Amino acid sequence: MTPTEWGIVALAVAGAFFGGVAAVGLVRLPDVYTRSHAASKSDTLGAILAIAAAALALQTGLSTAKSVFLLVFMFITNPTAAHAVARAAQDQGIEPWTADEGDDK
Amino acid sequence: MSAGDADAAASGDEGAGLYVESTIIMTTVRLVAPFILTFALFIMFHGADSPGGGFQGGVIAGSVVMMLAFAYGIDSTRQWLDVRIVSALASGGVFAFVGIGLGAMALGGQFLQYSEFEALFGHAIKYAIELVELGIGAIVAAVAIGLFFLLAAGFDDLAEEDSS
Repeated sequence: MTPTEWGIVALAVAGAFFGGVAAVGLVRLPDVYTRSHAASKSDTLGAILAIAAAALALQTGLSTAKSVFLLVFMFITNPTAAHAVARAAQDQGIEPWTADEGDDK
Repeated sequence: MSAGDADAAASGDEGAGLYVESTIIMTTVRLVAPFILTFALFIMFHGADSPGGGFQGGVIAGSVVMMLAFAYGIDSTRQWLDVRIVSALASGGVFAFVGIGLGAMALGGQFLQYSEFEALFGHAIKYAIELVELGIGAIVAAVAIGLFFLLAAGFDDLAEEDSS
C-alpha cells in the first residue's frame, strides 16, 4: 500500500471511531446539553475526518474541491447548530442534568 | 437578497422582541447564507445533467430564509421579506413554467417541447430547461417560505388573518 492509501485508511478509521463515540454519547448521556456536547464535538470531528479521507481518495480536481468545501462548511455549521440547539433549550428553561439527581430525566 | 440586507433589517428592530440574538449564530448565518444561495442555484442549473433540479434547489433556497429567521428572529425576517415578494416569486415561477410550456405550443409543438424554440435562438433547449428549473425553484422556495411563516405565526394569528 502506498502512503496515500495508508493516510486514507487512517483518516477513515479515525472518522468512524469519532462517529461511534458521538453515537454512544448521544445514547448514553442524560440530557440535551450533554447530548449536544457529544453530538457536536465528536460528530463534527468524525464527519470531517471521513470527508478528508474521501477528498484524499478522490484525487480528481472537482470532486476533491467539493469535498473540501463540504469539510469547511461542516466545520462552521455543525458546532453552530449545536450552539443553537443548546441556546434554544436554555431559552426554554430546561435545567442541566446534575449528578445528584440520580434519575435519567 | 443578501445577508447584508438581512442584517440591516434585523438591526432596525433590535431589542424590540423577546428573542435575544446570538452573535455566534448571526455571524455564521451571515457567512454561510451567500454560499447556500449559490449552492441552490448550482443545484437548480445542474438539474438536467446531475442529481438535483429545480425542486431541490428551491428547497435549499427556501431554507436560507428559515435560517435567517432562526438567526435574526422570525418577526424581523417577516418584515424584511414581505409576503408580496414571496407570492410574486411563486406566481413568477408559475408564469415562467406555463409561459415556456404554452410558448412551445404557440410555435406548433407540444407542451414544454423545448426544441420548438431552436428556430428562434441557438441552444434554446438548454436555456428553456434552465428557465423551467428556475421557475420550479422559485415556486418551491416561495411555498416553503410561505408555509414556514404560516406555521411560525401559530393558529391564533392564522384565524385572525382569515377573519380580517
